[in-house]
Amino acid sequence: MKKYYLLIGMLLFMYHQARPQHADLYAAVHKPAHVGQQEKDSGPLKQALVEIERSFQVSIAYKDEWIENKHVHFSASAFRAPEQALDSILKDTGLYYEKAGDKFYVIYKRNIRSAGAPQSSAVAMPSVYLSRMDNFTSPLIVNFSPTRTIELPMLVSISGTITDENGNGFPGVNVVVKGTASGTTTDTNGKYTLSVDNENATLVFSFVGYKTEEVSIAGRTVVDVVMTPDVQSLDEVVVTALGIERSAKSLGYATSKVNADQLTINRSPNLMNSLQGKIAGVNISSLGTGPGGTSKIRIRGQSSINGQNNPLIVINGVPIDNTNFGTNPGNLGSDNSIGTRGGGATTDGGDGLTSINPDDVESMTVLKGAAASALYGSRAKDGVIMITTKSRGTEKGIGVTYNMNFMDDQVLDFTDYQYEFGQGENGAGPASPNAPANPVTGQWSFGPRIQPGMTQVLYNNVVVPYEPQRDILTKFYRHGQTFTNTISLSANGDKGGMTLSVANMDSKGITPTNNYNRKTINLGFGYDLSEKLSFKGNINYSNEDNKNPPVVSEQDNSIPTSLYAMANTMPLDVLRDNQYNSQGGEASFSRFTNRVNPYWALSEVKQNIRRDRIFGNLSVKYDFTPWLFAQVRVGQDYWSRAQDYRNLPTGKNSLAQGGIASATPGFVNGLYTQDARTFRETNVDFLVSATKQFSDFGVNVTAGGNQMYRRSDLNSVQVTDFVVKGLYTVQNGRLKDPLYDLSERQVNSLYGSAEVNYKQFLYLNATARNDWFSTLSKDNRSILYPSVSLSYVFSESFTMPAWLDFGKLRVAYAEAGSDTDVPPYADKLFYSTSAAPFAGQPVGSFGTTVPNASLRPMRIEETELGLELKLFKSRVGFDFAVYRKLTIDQIVNAQISNASGFVNTRINSGESENKGIEMMVNLVPIELADFQWNFTFNGSYNESKVLSLLTANDGERITVGNHVFNGSLAQVVGMPMGQIIGNGYRRDDGSINPENKGKIVFGADGLPLTTSNILFGSALPKWVGGFTNSFNYKGVTLSFLIDFKLGGKLLSGTNFNAIRHGLHKMTLEGREGGTLDANGNDPGKVIGDGVNEASEPNTAFATNENYFSVVRARALIEPVIYDAGYWKLRQITAGYDFSRFLKASFPIKGLKLSLVANNVLMLKKWADNIDPEAFGYSSDNVAGMESPTLPTTRSIGFNLNVKF
Amino acid sequence: MKKKLNISILALSFLLVAACDDGFDELNTSKSGAISLDPVFVLNNAIINSSPSSSHVYEEAIVQQWFSTNTGVLEGGNFNKVNVNNTPLNWTNYYQNVIRYTSDVISHTKEDEERANLYHMARIIQANAFLILTDTYGDIPYAEAGAGYTEQLFFPVYETQQVIYPKIIDELTQAVAALGVAGKVETGDALFAGDIAKWKKFGNSLLLRAGMHLTKADAAKAAATVTAAIGGNAAANLIIVNADNAAVRHDANFVNGFGNTVNGTEAANFYLAEPFVNALKGTPGNVGNTTVLDPRLGAIAIRYGGARSGGDQTANSFANGSKVPSDQFGTPIGSTDGEADLSGALLPPGGSYGTPAAPRTGNRFSYSQVDRNRMVKRTSPLFLVTASQTNLLLAEAAMRGFGGLTAADAPTFFSAGIRANMEQMESYDPGCKIATADIDAYVAGAEGTLSNGSLDAALPQIGYQYWVASFLHGPEAWANLRRINYPALTPNPNSGSQVPGGFIQRLTYPDAERLVNTSNVPLTKEQDLLSLKVWWAQ
Repeated sequence: MKKYYLLIGMLLFMYHQARPQHADLYAAVHKPAHVGQQEKDSGPLKQALVEIERSFQVSIAYKDEWIENKHVHFSASAFRAPEQALDSILKDTGLYYEKAGDKFYVIYKRNIRSAGAPQSSAVAMPSVYLSRMDNFTSPLIVNFSPTRTIELPMLVSISGTITDENGNGFPGVNVVVKGTASGTTTDTNGKYTLSVDNENATLVFSFVGYKTEEVSIAGRTVVDVVMTPDVQSLDEVVVTALGIERSAKSLGYATSKVNADQLTINRSPNLMNSLQGKIAGVNISSLGTGPGGTSKIRIRGQSSINGQNNPLIVINGVPIDNTNFGTNPGNLGSDNSIGTRGGGATTDGGDGLTSINPDDVESMTVLKGAAASALYGSRAKDGVIMITTKSRGTEKGIGVTYNMNFMDDQVLDFTDYQYEFGQGENGAGPASPNAPANPVTGQWSFGPRIQPGMTQVLYNNVVVPYEPQRDILTKFYRHGQTFTNTISLSANGDKGGMTLSVANMDSKGITPTNNYNRKTINLGFGYDLSEKLSFKGNINYSNEDNKNPPVVSEQDNSIPTSLYAMANTMPLDVLRDNQYNSQGGEASFSRFTNRVNPYWALSEVKQNIRRDRIFGNLSVKYDFTPWLFAQVRVGQDYWSRAQDYRNLPTGKNSLAQGGIASATPGFVNGLYTQDARTFRETNVDFLVSATKQFSDFGVNVTAGGNQMYRRSDLNSVQVTDFVVKGLYTVQNGRLKDPLYDLSERQVNSLYGSAEVNYKQFLYLNATARNDWFSTLSKDNRSILYPSVSLSYVFSESFTMPAWLDFGKLRVAYAEAGSDTDVPPYADKLFYSTSAAPFAGQPVGSFGTTVPNASLRPMRIEETELGLELKLFKSRVGFDFAVYRKLTIDQIVNAQISNASGFVNTRINSGESENKGIEMMVNLVPIELADFQWNFTFNGSYNESKVLSLLTANDGERITVGNHVFNGSLAQVVGMPMGQIIGNGYRRDDGSINPENKGKIVFGADGLPLTTSNILFGSALPKWVGGFTNSFNYKGVTLSFLIDFKLGGKLLSGTNFNAIRHGLHKMTLEGREGGTLDANGNDPGKVIGDGVNEASEPNTAFATNENYFSVVRARALIEPVIYDAGYWKLRQITAGYDFSRFLKASFPIKGLKLSLVANNVLMLKKWADNIDPEAFGYSSDNVAGMESPTLPTTRSIGFNLNVKF
Repeated sequence: MKKKLNISILALSFLLVAACDDGFDELNTSKSGAISLDPVFVLNNAIINSSPSSSHVYEEAIVQQWFSTNTGVLEGGNFNKVNVNNTPLNWTNYYQNVIRYTSDVISHTKEDEERANLYHMARIIQANAFLILTDTYGDIPYAEAGAGYTEQLFFPVYETQQVIYPKIIDELTQAVAALGVAGKVETGDALFAGDIAKWKKFGNSLLLRAGMHLTKADAAKAAATVTAAIGGNAAANLIIVNADNAAVRHDANFVNGFGNTVNGTEAANFYLAEPFVNALKGTPGNVGNTTVLDPRLGAIAIRYGGARSGGDQTANSFANGSKVPSDQFGTPIGSTDGEADLSGALLPPGGSYGTPAAPRTGNRFSYSQVDRNRMVKRTSPLFLVTASQTNLLLAEAAMRGFGGLTAADAPTFFSAGIRANMEQMESYDPGCKIATADIDAYVAGAEGTLSNGSLDAALPQIGYQYWVASFLHGPEAWANLRRINYPALTPNPNSGSQVPGGFIQRLTYPDAERLVNTSNVPLTKEQDLLSLKVWWAQ
C-alpha cells in the first residue's frame, strides 16, 4: 500500500550500511572523477545517475524502486551542469529532483512545486546539516568538503524510530541537534542513532514535504517522532489583482491558474478558445465566425441584463482593451462608438485577445469573483483574466526556443436533410414539365419527388440531372489551416534579463477567401539597478490582417445562410459557373433575392480589417527596506484599426435594379464603407506595500492609486452609387455619408488593502477602492468598492486525520462595478448636424434617449464560500466554491412612451442574481513507476434570475435582442436571464372539451394558430464543465478532454429555414396527395394533428409548402426551439519529449512534439442539423438566437517545441 | 541619490491623484456634439420627417392602391390584420421624429419674439403631425406629448379626438394669424425658404383639411373652420396652384421612404392593386365608375410581364417593363403570394420581351408596380398638401356651401384639382410628365367634369378624384375614404381579415405604449380594434 500512497517522498541521505544497494552511489563520491566519458545510447537510469555523479562530482539520492526498469538515453558529456543533465534524463520519467545542498541532489517521485508544471531549475532547499559521527566506523556518509567536517565530542547516545503518517518507518529523515551542525539521517526502517553533548538539547527532524518537528530530548535516550506532511510546501504563489503575488493559501476567494502549456499546445487563433471546458466557472464559447473572431467569455454567469459581460483583461498588471467587434446586430465599437454600419457586413472583427500570441504567455490566472477582483473596482464586475507574459529568462545565459504549430480544420456537417423531394415550390420546380429556364426556387426544396433519370433546367440553357446534392458544406468550404511559428530568445544574468519573441501566424479560414495573419513581437525585460531599485517592463506589438472575415447570421451576403438553405438538388458547380448575369451583377438563383449565390459572395463580398496594436507597461520598484517597497507603473494600450467593407457589392441581386445600375441613372449600385479607428488607454498607477511579522501575526498593507484615461476616435465614410464599376473607394461614390465620433473618459482611483494573518493559517484581508468617474455628474461620481475575505487553513490549526493533507475554508464578500455602462456624455442633450444639407439648409438632430444626469454605474455584491481539500497524500484534491452574485443598479434603458417624443431614458433600476457552485476534483487513480493517470473534473452550475427591471413585478419584461428571422430575447422579472420569447402554437384550453386541452389549434386554412409572447426558457447554460484524463506512460503523454454545456435553450434559425424551405425531414409529411395544379404538379396536403377553434378534430388541410412556411408566415418559433446542450470529446493531446535521444554534440537541447486534435467527436446533442455551438454572436443580448454561421470544424495538428 | 528617488516616487504618486475629478466636467462634454443649435435647423428635421412615407404597409393597402402579397413583415393592410410591427409606424414617426423636434423648437422660440415666425412655423408642422396621429389612432396624447425632455413627462395623458380637433384648429388658426411678413425671415427653413405667405397658405390649407374632416361629426365646426381657412379668398389664402405645394423634396441624402423601400430589398414585393389600376384603365365595373383611360396610369405604373422573380424586373431582362397603360394589371386585393402567383400566371404577357422568345408564364412578379425609376425614386418628392387636394376639398366645400362658396363654384375647383394633380406628376420625374393634350382631353371629358347636381351626386366623383390625387399620401387618402366612403371599394376579401366585410377604421395602439403608458392608454387590448371608428368617422 505504501507504494501507492507515497506521493511525496524524498530521501535526503541514505545510511549506506543499511542500504547496501547504494554502496556504489556513495562509493562513487570518493572515486576520482571519471574523465573522457564515452557516449552511450541507452542504458538503465541508474547507470546514468551514477555517471552524473562521477562527471560532476556530486551525490544523488534516490529510492531504488523508483528507478528500476527505467531506461534513458544519456551522455554526461553533453551537459555543462548536473542540473541540465538531470533535467534531461528525468524528463518524462515521472521523477523530479531538488538540489538539497551543495553538490547534493535528491530524486523524488512527485513534483512538489506545483502539480502539472514541468520541473524547473533547482531551488535551494532548507540547509542540510552534515556531520561526522563517531559511532560510525565507516567514513562519514557524505563529505564533499573535508575541510568543513567538524569533530564533535560524544556525550549521550540518542536513538529512535521515525514513522510517517501511516505508521511506517520513515527512511531518510534528517535529524539535527538544534543550534549545532551535528546530525544524521534515518535508515530504511526509519531508525536513527545520534550522539549529543547536552541532554536537554532539542532535536530537529526534517524531511522535504513534511513538517519540521522539534523535540526536546529532556533526558531521554529514545526519541520517536511521527512526521506529518507539510502542505505549506505545496503552496503556490498566485498573481492577484494589480499584479500582487500572494501565497495561494492566504486567499479567501477562488482563483484558477492556467498553465502555459494549455494555451500553446492545443491552440486556436484566439488565445482563450483553447481553455474551453477547462476552468470551473468560466464559460468560453468560440464563435463560428472565422479565424480572427471573438471569444465569448463569461465568468460566473451573465452578470447583467445588458449584452456585454466580458471579464477585464490584465496583462502584467495593467488592463488592456478587449473591445469586441463581433457580429452583434447593431454592434458597438470601442466605448459605445458606432460599430459596423449598414446591412450586409455582419462579420466578426475580433476582440482584444486576438492580438496575443499564446507563446508569449508565461502564466494566466483567472480571478473569478468580486473579492478576487475588487481592487479593480469599477472594472471588475465580470472577473479578471490576468496574463503574465514572459519577461526574463528562467535559466542563466542565453536560450533560444522555436515553436511551430500547425492545425488543419475540417468542416463538420451535422445536417440531416431530406433528399426525397428536390428543388421547387408547391410540387413544381425546374424538373417539372414546361419548367421556366431560370432557377427561381434555388432556396426551396418543395419540388417534385426525385426519381432516377429526371433532369432540371437551370439558368437559361443548363440542363442537369435532378438528383440529390449531398455534402455541399464540405464541398464548398476548404480545409482551414493555421500555421504558427514563434522564435524566442531569452537572456538572463544575475542582474536582469530579457525575452524577445517574434511570431507569425497564418490562418486560412475554411471560407475560401478568408485569410488571417498575425505578426507579434513581444519584448519583456527586467533589471536590478541596485539591490533596492529595479525596473521591468514589456512591450507587445501586433499586426493583424484579416481578409474577408465571413458574413454570418444574416440574409444578405451571408454564405452560410444560403448554403444551409440551398435547394437540395442545386449543383454547386452550376451556381459557381453562373454567378454573373449579363450586366455583371449577381445572377438570380432564387426569388429570395437577399439570399446570395455563395460563389458570387466569394467573388464580390470583400472586407479588410487591419490592426496595429502596441501595448505594454514599464514599472519601477524601489525596496526601501526588505519589508517596504514602492512601485510606479505606466501602461498603455494603443491601437489603430482600418476596416473597409462592401456592405452591398455592385450588382447584388437584392438591390432593386437586379443588374448593376444604380437608382440614379449613370451610376452603378452598391454600398461601401471605410472606417478608421484609433484607441488609446493609459493607466498610470503607484503602489506602496509593506509586510511585517509581529510574533504570531503577519501584516501586509498596500496602498495605491490609478489614473485611467481612454479615448476612442472613429472616422467613417460610407458611400453609395459608384462612378466606376468595381472601384471601391470613397472618392468613387457619388453619395457620401461621413461620420466622426469621439469618446473620452477618465477614471481616477485610490485603493488599499490590508492583510493580517495569524500563524499563517488564518488570513483576513480587506480592500477598498474608490473610483471617480468622468462620465458621472459631480454629485455622484465618487464610488467606493470594498471587499473582505477570510482564509482559514484548518489543517494547520488542528491535528487532522492522517488522510487529510490540507484543508482550507474561505469566505469572502465584495462589491465591484462596471465602468462602461454609463457612456460618456449621457448627462446632457447634445445636438448634431447632418452630414449633408437638405434643400441647402443644415438639419439638426439629437438623440431619442432622455439624458439622465443622476446615473451611476451598476454594482455587484458577491458573497462566496469555498473549501479546498487535499486528501490521501494529494492524490485526491477538491476545490469547491459557492457564490451568490447580486447585480444591482443596472441601467435599464427604460422605455418611455414614444408620445413623449423620446424612446427611452436610462434608469438605475435593474437587479439580477447569479447563484452557483464551482467544483474541481483532481484524482490520481493510478501512479506506477511507468504509468500515471491523472483525472480532473471541473464543473460549474449557475442559476440566474432577474429580480427587477423598472419594477420588481414578476413577469415584467424587456426585449434585449431580436433574432434575425423571428423571435427575440427578453429579460423577465422572476425568471432566469436570457429568455427566448416568441410565438408558440395556440393550445386548446380545454374549455369546450377537456380531453383536447393542450392540443394544437388549427384555423380554417389548415394552418396552426399561434399565441404570442410565449417564454421558451433561458438561453444560458446551467452546467458547464469538462473531464480531463491524462496518462503518462514512459514519457508518452496522452490526454483527452470531454466537455459539456447543459441546461440552455436555443432558437435555431438554421432549422427555421430548413423547415420553411423544405429541407428538414419533418417537411416530408404530406408532400403528396394534394390537388394537382394545371401542369399536374402535386402541392401536397397536410392535415395538422390537433383541433379547430371549436375544439373539434382538425380536418382542414393546407398544401405542404404553406403548412411548413407557417414558421415564417406566423413567426412561429416553437418548432425550432431546442435544448442547446451538448457533450463533446473536445480534445485529444499526445506528446513525447525527444530530448533524451539528442546527442550532446547536437546543437538542439530539447525537442518536444505534441499531436493534437480539437472538437473530435460530438457525443450528444439535441438540436437538429446543427452543432449547437455554431454560434455567431458575442453579445448576450442575442444569446441563443442561432442563425447560420460557419460550420464547426475538427482540427488536427501538431506542436513542435525546440530548445537550443 | 537614494533619498531623491524616494521623494520623487512619493511626489509622483501624490500628483497622480491630487485632484480626483479635476477636469471631469470638461472631459465629459461632447466634442462631436453641440450644446445648442439654431432651432430652425432642428425644425428642418421635423419637416423632412413629416413626409408621409410610413404608410406603405397600412394606408396604401387599406385604400387599395398599393400593397404587398407578402406575409410576415409586410403584413398589415394587405390582409386587414394587426401587425404589431407596422401599426406603430405613424406613431413612432410623428411623435418621435416630428413632435420631438417641433417641441424642442417651440420650447426655444416660444419666448423669443425675434423668432416668432419660427415658433409659428413649428406649430403648423406640429399640427400636421397631430392631425395624422389622431386620424390614425383616434384618442392620443396631445397637450402632454413631446415633453419628454423639456418637462420630463415620460407618460403623457391621452385626450379624446373630440377635444383634440378643436385644439389643433386653434393652433393652426393662431399660428397662421400670427405669422408676420414683417418678422424675421427664417432663411434656414427648408420647406418654403422663409416665405411667410406660403407658410400661411400651408397653414390655412391644413385648416381646411381639418375642417373638412369634421363634416360628419360636427358640421357646424366644419363649416366654421373651412370658412376661416378660406378667409373669403381661396386663391389668396390656400394652396391652389402647384407652385405653392407643401412638399418634402427628397434628395439622395434624405430619401423618399417609399422609394427607399421599393429600391431596396422590398423591390419585388409591392404591386399596384387591382381596383386602382382598373379604375385608371377605365375597366368596366371599376370602383371609380370611370370609362376612359386615365393618363396618370402611364405616369405611375410599369409592368414586367412574365417576370418570375425580382431579378427579372429590370429594363434589360426578358421581362423589361412596359409603361403602356393598357398593359397594366393590378394584383387582386387580399391575395396571398400563392394566390397571386396563380392569378399572375394567367396574365397576358404584356410589354416587349427580350430573348429568348420561348413561351413564358409569369407569376405574382408580373403584376404592375409603381415605377421605381420614375414616380418613386429614392429622390422623388412626397407631398404634405397639394393644390389638387385643396381644390378638390374646395369643390366639396362649395357643394356644401361652406365658406361663402356655392355649388356653382364646385366644377371649377374640381377640374382645377384634376389638372393640378396631372401637372404635379412631372415633379416626381420628368418621365412622369403628362402631355398637356392628354390633360386637356381628360379634364374636358366626363371624368373631368363635375356634374353640377346635388352633393350626393358630386361626392362619388370628388371622392374618386381625391383618392387618385392622394396616391402616395396614405393618411389623407384613408381619412377621406373613411369620411365620405368614396370611391366605393369592395372590402378586402382575405379570409384572415380582422375586419371581415369592412375596412380598417383605425390602427391599434403600439404594444410598447400599452406596456409602458399602461395607466393612460384609453382602450383595453380587447377594445383596441381595427374596426373601431374614430370620432369624426362615426
